[in-house]
Amino acid sequence: MLGIYKQEAYERHLRFQRDADPTWGRKITALPGCEGILTCMQCGTCSAACPLSVYMDYTPRRIIATVREGFREDVLRSQTIWLCASCYACRVRCPREINITDVMYALKREAIRNRMYPPHFPIPILARAFFDMVKRRGRSTEFWLVLRMALRSNPLILLGMAKTGWHLWRTGRLSLGYEKIRGVGELQKALASPREEV
Amino acid sequence: MSNGNGSVRIGFYVCHCGTNIAGVVDVKALAEWAATVPSVVVSRDYKYMCSDPGQELIQQDIRDHHLNRIVVASCSPHLHERTFQTATAKGGLSPYYFQMVNIREHDSWVHKDKKAATEKAKDLVRAALRRVVFHEPLEKKQVPVRSDVLVVGGGIAGIHAALTLANAGKHVYLVEREATIGGHMAKFDKTFPTLDCAACILTPKMTAVRSHPNITMWTLSEVAEVGGYVGNYHVKVRRKPRYVLEDACIGCLECIEACVYKQAKVSDEFNLGLGKRKPIYIPFPQAVPQVVLIDPETCIEFKSGKCKKTCVEICADRNAIDFKQQEEIKEIEVGTIIMSTGFQTVDAARIPYYGYGAYPNVYTSLEVERLINASGPTGGEVILRDGKKPKAVGIVHCVGSRDENTNRWCSRVCCMYSLKLAHLIKEHTDAEVFNFYIDIRTPGKGFEEFYCKLLSEGVHFIRGRVAEVTDWALDPSEEGKLVIRVEDTLIGRVRRIPVDMVVLSVGLEPHADADEVRRQFNITCSTEGWFLERHPKLAPVNTFTDGIFLAGCCQGPKDIPDTVAQAGAAAAEALVLIDAGHVELEPNTAYVLEDECSGCKSCLSLCPYTAIAYHEEKKKAEINEVLCKGCGVCVAACPSGSIQQHMFQDEQIFAEIEGVLAHA
Repeated sequence: MLGIYKQEAYERHLRFQRDADPTWGRKITALPGCEGILTCMQCGTCSAACPLSVYMDYTPRRIIATVREGFREDVLRSQTIWLCASCYACRVRCPREINITDVMYALKREAIRNRMYPPHFPIPILARAFFDMVKRRGRSTEFWLVLRMALRSNPLILLGMAKTGWHLWRTGRLSLGYEKIRGVGELQKALASPREEV
Repeated sequence: MSNGNGSVRIGFYVCHCGTNIAGVVDVKALAEWAATVPSVVVSRDYKYMCSDPGQELIQQDIRDHHLNRIVVASCSPHLHERTFQTATAKGGLSPYYFQMVNIREHDSWVHKDKKAATEKAKDLVRAALRRVVFHEPLEKKQVPVRSDVLVVGGGIAGIHAALTLANAGKHVYLVEREATIGGHMAKFDKTFPTLDCAACILTPKMTAVRSHPNITMWTLSEVAEVGGYVGNYHVKVRRKPRYVLEDACIGCLECIEACVYKQAKVSDEFNLGLGKRKPIYIPFPQAVPQVVLIDPETCIEFKSGKCKKTCVEICADRNAIDFKQQEEIKEIEVGTIIMSTGFQTVDAARIPYYGYGAYPNVYTSLEVERLINASGPTGGEVILRDGKKPKAVGIVHCVGSRDENTNRWCSRVCCMYSLKLAHLIKEHTDAEVFNFYIDIRTPGKGFEEFYCKLLSEGVHFIRGRVAEVTDWALDPSEEGKLVIRVEDTLIGRVRRIPVDMVVLSVGLEPHADADEVRRQFNITCSTEGWFLERHPKLAPVNTFTDGIFLAGCCQGPKDIPDTVAQAGAAAAEALVLIDAGHVELEPNTAYVLEDECSGCKSCLSLCPYTAIAYHEEKKKAEINEVLCKGCGVCVAACPSGSIQQHMFQDEQIFAEIEGVLAHA
């Protein structure tokens, strides 16, 4: 109870205009797939349609408003962009046809590039591990992927998964082999070409 | 039973109105009971009396049974009294031998107990059956309608109504208070949502008014007195002196150049004080009439009489300047009047926390219209009072609207004009533009699309009503700026936004003298002070006074397209009366029994329609049947009982009361 009287319990919610970076907002809206941000009329359909918005600190609607006003820190530190499961429910319902899922991807990339997520935060680690694995071997193998994510974020989660993993292995649902496609070199070439342009 | 005109033969009809009446009132029993009432010759119930067969039934019965009175128990007389009167007349009787009983709104719709409702219906019907015996055959009065029309107010509403009527060949008197017609629209730069230039679309109509042979245009004029009635209004118009002869001045403007004031020093009303003018001036370049005027408050000749009068010198060949010009009263006779007196904007200083008047860079939206306008005080440059271009501009919506402390209503045009100003300011200055709004209301053709366009232009839309505008910096980045404090309800944070210029989107309200004007014309106002239409949906341009119509913002806030549409409708309503040539008046008027009138004059001041005059020679009250609306105030007030009213004669009312009470 006493905790709420401690000074650190009061976060300053007032936003000065110097907290905002309108150029950053404009940079995001200029990204492919994000153009629609400007035409958003803040109806909230995306937030209502989103199956995960109830767990989010900022609803998708609020993310869009905050991007538009240029509050970079608030957006990139929010959990929302990481909770998005890319189900596209928001995109289907949006009356202005804004590619909200693409916006979330763009913001995730932005956060990863700027390392603006908590250390050992599993979702960006998983994303990176997944991409590395696909780049190197042409496909992902769940066992190794999860193992890698766990080792880099929080190995203790493996204890909780052990029982499920055991059952999956016994019923032949979990392969311990490390899969690879033929002609990985071609894939790597293909993946490298658009990256060069960025 | 008889009224001395032979025996009374009543036909009684009760309407089922589907199940509306028959579901509660036992209509069969009612008809059977009525048949037993003396003088009732025919008594019927019918599913829908207002239908063609229902009306035909009445006509056939009048012929077959020689009926001479008709009573119908059905809905409200507001709906179908006219219908049944017409049916009665077609059957060959005077329509005033008809009486209607309302057993729907007054009975079946408001009661559940069927037995009691049926009993109540009997009481109401009995009252009508007894009353109708004393009815008289009355005649409708006809009065001719003059074809000339008075249009009060020369804004876009008045201009459009005047031109419509003039084009239909009617003579129009257009009276305008200011020195030029054009109203508020003449001050705007662009119009939403199409962004066409206001002057480009308005000035051709203004000059058309000036040159139209059927329009008499009087500027600097006010209506001084209104008398008469529909079709025959007598109006006195006060023409204030302009000190320049309108017929002689050709609008060369050389006198302005020649004025002894080398610099314009007087605050310019047309530019809302943002610019300066000389004592001799023209409100704006495209003013109609293109005639200068002299402001006697600032002209040296008026103040001291010792001016060199260089203006008169330069105008020697036309001699248009006349310092001796006097106020003039013009008397005109018109048949109909169109009110298009417009609105005023809310005084932004009434909302002190927005700093209007305290901070020089807080402007009203109308002032910014003038700044953006190429013929405005800055030649169309959006610059602050120190001449700098603003880098950030905040537009505060709903100033003096949707607020119990100022005006409760939504002013309807502010959202759209704020969007327009946001667009124009961005275009002129490339500033960051912030709109602060409670709700964005864009319910017109192309409006939502315009809003969407503004969103894509990168204008900021911050949902939240601004709490204050202050120059108190809480942070070094706010020094020297005006800071807008607002809850951004979209991102869920309280924000402080420093800007260089604040635009207050002021709402619309009735003119300060709207109440005086409405008294003068004997029309009504809503509680807010807007002139009241006869019906909010079905008679939106009519007033409760016949022959007076409303157009534009004097009836309520509206945009230009709606104003023009309403002005056209008002003109059409006036044409209806003019082309009919006459109006028919209901004969339910009061009349004086001259022998009994003592001439006490107590009725004179009570009449809300000024229909009663005092005949000096006879020393009696006289009622003008055309003006009388049959309200009955004088009838009740007359101490000697010498005023009677058709359709509400004492014997009729007593019979009715006895009928209602007879069941006891």
